Amino acid sequence: MAGDNANLTSVVEGSTEHSGIAGGDELTAYAEAALGDDTDSIAAARDQVRAALGDDATVDAAAVIANFQRMVRIADGTGIPLDQPVLIMSQAIRDELHINDFHGAGNSAPLPWHKKVLGRAAAPFMPKMLKRMAQSRKIET
Amino acid sequence: MVQFNYDASDISIRDDLAESYRQVWATVGRPGNWWSAHDRVAIAQESRNARTCALCTGRKSALSPYGDDGHHDSTTNLPGAAIDAVHRVTTDPARIKRDWIRDLSASGVSDAHYVELLGVVVAVISIDAFNRAMGLALEPLPEAADGAPDQYRPPGAKDQGAFVDMVAPADLTVTEADLYGGNPQTGNVLAAMSLVPDSVRMLTTLSGTQYLTMHEVPNPTTNGGRALTRSQIELTAGRVSSLSDCFY
Repeated sequence: MAGDNANLTSVVEGSTEHSGIAGGDELTAYAEAALGDDTDSIAAARDQVRAALGDDATVDAAAVIANFQRMVRIADGTGIPLDQPVLIMSQAIRDELHINDFHGAGNSAPLPWHKKVLGRAAAPFMPKMLKRMAQSRKIET
Repeated sequence: MVQFNYDASDISIRDDLAESYRQVWATVGRPGNWWSAHDRVAIAQESRNARTCALCTGRKSALSPYGDDGHHDSTTNLPGAAIDAVHRVTTDPARIKRDWIRDLSASGVSDAHYVELLGVVVAVISIDAFNRAMGLALEPLPEAADGAPDQYRPPGAKDQGAFVDMVAPADLTVTEADLYGGNPQTGNVLAAMSLVPDSVRMLTTLSGTQYLTMHEVPNPTTNGGRALTRSQIELTAGRVSSLSDCFY
């Protein structure tokens, strides 16, 4: 989104995969530890983030980790389908990362064939589209 | 005593986080639409109990989470179906099914009761999760105020394809006009708990300080003024979601 080249596999495979994002390894390790109950592991992972990115970033990371522990339960607890535009545009990523194997995938109705085709056709242009959108928003701001 | 006093933390914590937590704690401690304040605080307590519940631990590793009818490790007087709902949302949300929510109604936990319960549980979970991630003790739960629930159900709530009814932006009334920030469209995750407007308000209050505001989220260039870049934020968010087996 900001022009970074990220290895998305790190999102599903974790801190054993280099994300390509500064501090990414430390952040994913912190997320992994924070979802468990081992306070020593959490402290160690937090210290790694603090060393790599600083105190303020550590607080932000803890907050994001906390935020998404709420959001995932809202989504799964209410069975909301994935929003149509996201469903269309995320096909390739979902396939690549095996996200369609997650339990909640059944809450979203399968796309009709023409929307599948639209999504796959637009997928190669997504990075450029997002950059253009980002640039237009920068101009606005 | 001031709630969410983070002075003892060796890492300075943003004031807006603590203030948002105080707001949510105040909301939890008030009567809701369907649960009394005492029940709401009990719901919060059960979300904490669930983390060490033996039944939940067993179910989590079972092929099906619906086979074991044992008893949860609970400390409140909530109805059994409500305790079960709190524990499932806390420990095994990815396997919640539409049929199970429908069956809750037969046990006295209506869809609206469930959404209000969900709103309290997820708010408390996310605040507790922050404290745990920062190595801090959990905040004592709020005092429960007296008063009866008002049984308000948004008249615009409809089946939108989820397990529970939701209110689309076009169907908001004056009472819940603030929910989506005046936007004519909204993501499903914001509308998910709109059957109980305060559940959404707690969500947006917390998201605004823990992540990004609803206006910032669609803009890929912004990081909300955080110390993390947007890429770092989304990587962290994605990892949590993946570990939680969350498709959405």
